[in-house]
Amino acid sequence: MSYYDIDAILTDAQKVPCTFEITIPGLGYLEGNSNIDIKQGTRVELPLWLAEMLGVSQRLGTEQNVISLDLPPALAPRVQNALKANPCTVDLRSLASHYYSLGERILGLLEEDELVDILSETFKKRAAEIADHAHNPQGVISSGGEFLKGLDENERQLFKTAHESAKAIRAFLSDRSSGKK
Amino acid sequence: MYGDLGLKLVQHAKRTQSLPQLPPYQSDIVRSVTREVRDLDRDVTEILEPFNGHFDPAEEPATACSLLVHHLCMRRNKRCLLAYHRVRVEAIEEMCWSGSDLLEQVQASQNKVAEGGAGIGSAEGSGASSLSPEEEEYARQYGDLLAAYKGQWTDIDLTGSLEPPRDLFIDVRVLKDAGEIQTEYGAITLTKNSQFFVRQGDVERLIAQGFLQKLN
Repeated sequence: MSYYDIDAILTDAQKVPCTFEITIPGLGYLEGNSNIDIKQGTRVELPLWLAEMLGVSQRLGTEQNVISLDLPPALAPRVQNALKANPCTVDLRSLASHYYSLGERILGLLEEDELVDILSETFKKRAAEIADHAHNPQGVISSGGEFLKGLDENERQLFKTAHESAKAIRAFLSDRSSGKK
Repeated sequence: MYGDLGLKLVQHAKRTQSLPQLPPYQSDIVRSVTREVRDLDRDVTEILEPFNGHFDPAEEPATACSLLVHHLCMRRNKRCLLAYHRVRVEAIEEMCWSGSDLLEQVQASQNKVAEGGAGIGSAEGSGASSLSPEEEEYARQYGDLLAAYKGQWTDIDLTGSLEPPRDLFIDVRVLKDAGEIQTEYGAITLTKNSQFFVRQGDVERLIAQGFLQKLN
């Protein structure tokens, strides 16, 4: 992940629910009220780039945590169960545009062993489905539209690469056979 | 909230990556983001003022946290700004290498600046071009650098097409008047709408620049 990577920055912009554990002066704007202190126990949605650094103290085991993190709705148990049931029917894009990257970052902050398996299993199942669609342009139009709309950013890249490589191979083969004639 | 404008810039950058042309420079948002950074910096100075330089984070965890948030916002904005400009700079460099009409575009906007007069013209002229004045300068200097680099190998055209030619000679049609060019077989005058059968190597640059069109 590079400092200049646009997708990494967009991943960082995704929101995570947090609870403030101490009262902090002048941070009311995080909640939407300017110039008011943020009270202990306030729940706000903070972007990952802010929540991560504030949440770090949690892991270092300092006396008082600044904030405590929760699972974002996109990774909530309800979604996990849906993914366990059938990975291909979940619209990941509407949950989070950089779904897997978000999961990766959250797993760095929270201990969720089961989530690791669910996410990697989901990716494997969906990758096969994506490859299928990428190689059959006819299939996309008839049935796969709904599924392809729900791809997250990584999966979109995967689809694009698979699609273009299939096209390139077809072009290469036809070029070679026409050259022989 | 702080950082939202930076995000907007990055979303612009994301869109830029998939566009064939460079969209206009978002000078308004860039200015707002830098102003936000300056505001944050002023806030930090204000918060630290009563401590006279003896600030102990352990004693004031709440204030320390507030400072941390301010600092993180500034860092975030910096990252967004840098990433946005980098995406654009990469696009500009690519244009220089592919020899597209970037410089022509710059030229055109410069002419407008000259026409519009010194004062207001500079602001309006840059609005017509999709590049900011700094980016125009960068493009020009990068172009010079590239020309100097290419000059070291006179027998290879580094920015030439990577596709092997199928025929030595091709048919071309002239789209814009390009004046007279010298070839191995003598001089040809390229006037608009005329058609020639020429050696591909002689006219490759002109095709790339859009003066000629290749006919199959």
